Amino acid sequence: MATHALHVDDALYEEVRGHRLLGFLLFLISDSILFMSFIFGYLYNRAAAPVWPPPGLERPDVFLAAVNSIVLFGSGVTMHFAMESMRHENRKRFVGFVLATIVLGLMFLGGQVIEYTTLIRHDVTWNGTTFGASFFTLTGMHGFHVFIGVIFLITVLIQTLKGVYTTQRHFGLTAATLYWHFVDVIWVALFSLFYVY
Amino acid sequence: MDIHLIEKILAFIGALVVGFFAVKSLIAEWPKINLEDHVTKVMMVLLTIGCIIVLLVAVNVWGRV
Repeated sequence: MATHALHVDDALYEEVRGHRLLGFLLFLISDSILFMSFIFGYLYNRAAAPVWPPPGLERPDVFLAAVNSIVLFGSGVTMHFAMESMRHENRKRFVGFVLATIVLGLMFLGGQVIEYTTLIRHDVTWNGTTFGASFFTLTGMHGFHVFIGVIFLITVLIQTLKGVYTTQRHFGLTAATLYWHFVDVIWVALFSLFYVY
Repeated sequence: MDIHLIEKILAFIGALVVGFFAVKSLIAEWPKINLEDHVTKVMMVLLTIGCIIVLLVAVNVWGRV
C-alpha cells in the first residue's frame, strides 16, 4: 500500500513538474519577446539615423565588454556544472559551483557599473540621445535580469542547504539553471548588437 | 602595458577556456532527451557562438572600439 502511494506520488510529481516546466519555458519565451521588441526598436532607430552613434558620442569599449561577456558566459558553464553535480549527488561540488556562478554574476554587474560610469563621463546618457536611451534601456534591463538571477541563485542555494531539493526532485534548480542560461544567451545578442555590429 | 591589450588577452584566454567547457558540456548533454535537456543544448550552442564572437573581437577580426 505504501509502495503504491509512493508510485502515485511520484507520478503526480512528474505530471506537476511537466506543467511547471512548460510554464517556466513560456515565461522565458515571453521574456525573450520583451527583449526582441526593444531590440527591433533599437534597430529601427539605428537604421533611421544618418550617422550611428550620433557625432561626438563615444562608442562603448568593446574590449571591456568582451571581458565582461566572458565572465557572464563562464557563469553559464559553472551553473551547468552545478546542475550536473546535483544530479550526481555531489552537494559540496554543487555549492562551490553555485557560489562561483553568483560571484561571476556580481562581477558582470560590477563591469556594467564601470562601463556606465565611463560612458556617463563621456556624455552618453539615458536621456541625451536615442543611442544612449537604447543602450541603457536594453543593457540596463539585462543587468536587472542578472540581478534577479543572482537573488534567484542565492535563494536556491539556501533552499539546497536546508535540504529542500533532492537528487530526484529539484525543479527550482532546473528553473534557476534555465533562467541563467537565458540571461547568458540574451547577452550574446546584446553584445553582438551594441559592440560588434 | 596598454589597458586594451590586457582586456584583449583576458578575453582571448577566457573565450578559449569557457568555449572549451561549453563544447564539452554540449557533447555530454547531447544524448539526453528530456525537454529541459533540449533547451540546455540550444543554450549551450548559443553560448559557444558567444565565445566565438568574443574570440573574434579579441583578435580584432570583429568589433569596433
